[in-house]
Amino acid sequence: MAGQQGAAAGRGNPLDRKDALLGVMLIAPTVLIFCAVIVYPLVSALYLSLFRIFTPTLQGSFVGLDNYAELAASPEFWRSLLNTMIWTVLTLALQIGFGIAAALMLNQAMIFRSLARSLILFPYFVSTVVAVLVWRWLFNDLYGILNHAAMWAGILSMPLDWLGAMPNAMVSIVLVGAWKYFPFVVIAVLARLQSIPEPLYEAARIDGAGAWGRFTDVTLPQLREVLLVVVLLRAIWDFKEFDLIYLLTGGGPIIATQTLSLMVYKEAFGMNEMGRASAVAVAMMLVMLVFMLLYLRLNRRRDA
Amino acid sequence: MRRSLLGGIAFNLLAWTMVFIVAFPLVWMVITSVKPQFELFRIPPTFWPEQVTFEHYARLLFETPFLTYMRNSLLLSTTTTILVVAVATLGAHSLVRFRYRGREALAQLVLFTYLLPSVVLLLPLYLMMVWIGVANSLFSLVIAYTTFALPYALWLLRSFMQGIPEDLESAALVDGATRMEAFFDVILPQALPGIISTCLFTFILSWNEYLYALVLVNTDAVRPLTTGVMSMLVSAFNIEWSLLMAASVMMSIPLIIIFAFLQKFLTQGFGAGGVKG
Repeated sequence: MAGQQGAAAGRGNPLDRKDALLGVMLIAPTVLIFCAVIVYPLVSALYLSLFRIFTPTLQGSFVGLDNYAELAASPEFWRSLLNTMIWTVLTLALQIGFGIAAALMLNQAMIFRSLARSLILFPYFVSTVVAVLVWRWLFNDLYGILNHAAMWAGILSMPLDWLGAMPNAMVSIVLVGAWKYFPFVVIAVLARLQSIPEPLYEAARIDGAGAWGRFTDVTLPQLREVLLVVVLLRAIWDFKEFDLIYLLTGGGPIIATQTLSLMVYKEAFGMNEMGRASAVAVAMMLVMLVFMLLYLRLNRRRDA
Repeated sequence: MRRSLLGGIAFNLLAWTMVFIVAFPLVWMVITSVKPQFELFRIPPTFWPEQVTFEHYARLLFETPFLTYMRNSLLLSTTTTILVVAVATLGAHSLVRFRYRGREALAQLVLFTYLLPSVVLLLPLYLMMVWIGVANSLFSLVIAYTTFALPYALWLLRSFMQGIPEDLESAALVDGATRMEAFFDVILPQALPGIISTCLFTFILSWNEYLYALVLVNTDAVRPLTTGVMSMLVSAFNIEWSLLMAASVMMSIPLIIIFAFLQKFLTQGFGAGGVKG
């Protein structure tokens, strides 16, 4: 809207038109880079998915929609899609649950609160490689502290294979994902909590609401909007997660934790089928598009 | 809210137990990195090291290509950050303060690419690098990192700059400044905290990137830390966990520095980009 009005005014006023030119010049480097490294590769991903390409030689032949037909008939593709959804839903649910709990906790008076906040935020900023190395050491079946602690506490009677068997492997990546990404929820929710007006709580207390009642009647409704944003963003990011899963299980055992991102990598560089890999990537993007468009719409509404 | 003393103590205990559980993996990383190798294989494991040693750090620095990886990562992340933030600052200013056709559509495109999965761009970028003959170089990674860093930086900076009152620039223009003068003298100083926080986020993002580095680079001379350290895990005949934990600690040093001294900027950045954005 504003853009159109500006453009209309720009036609009448020479000064504005000169300014618009400067604006275009300032954005030009961005647009050029965008076209070269994002728009062109994006279009070419669609194009590649129509070819059969042997990765080592990069020689290819046009096969039309054959790659997509193969995928639709491939149980591995559907399994990977299912795995992606299971991983996304479970880890996202834990992130939101832990995130809200931790944010409520950090919103209360506690000793060394800023230190506690830093410690809670750290997993989010640490490299996935570091997180994975540490967790693989914790999960180690012979010398890992997790097995020993669980056996010492009597929870386990013998060491558990955390990453090499099902359903353990899925549970493990979901837990590590929750640990790594819940701080994002904490920061978002905490910022919102601090802006809830205190009189709302006073009013609820006068109405006789207990702690739980104040949470469900005052806090949660106030958090609704920020949670919607957080859920959408995290759903998008969890859906496309590669590093964490690839480095923890490599998609194994066999393909039990293989998500679509991992399948793209495997098809391209394990099976040397670059065309089919592109088709998987495009299919994955189509699924994500629903969330992405939803988020774009939400954001436009907030902007306006 | 008033709490009894006992309730307060109970809450603090519970809260700090939770914090400790969250932080434990990282604590364990540091502890493991200073334990002698033989102590790792103690059953049951010891918590505190009986003997503190820095031999793993010494080995890491002098007997492995770790320092090469570190140099590559520093070079890569710094170059990406400077390039991306410079371009994005001009771009964001244009998106916020100028009126021209297609501006809104462009802002939407930025947000769209910010959400785009790397996996989709990965294969075309790989082909592109092979085709223009820069595959397996730090330069190819700078190009690849731009694909996620630029939309991110633009979006973050756009949010920051939207928060700068328009009157400030108008006042400068009334005083006879050109728009570029107003940008350098008024907008830039105002946007500086936002620019710093964007730099930090872009740097961290580049520092931690793994997938592009895995696909685009395959020699030790140009490997960044992420893939370099993982290759130490794969190539080791029996996994030397203390060495890997020492590498993990060293790799996290820039983050620890940012956390210790610049956390204010991280929180601001979250307010603008992570939450709103």
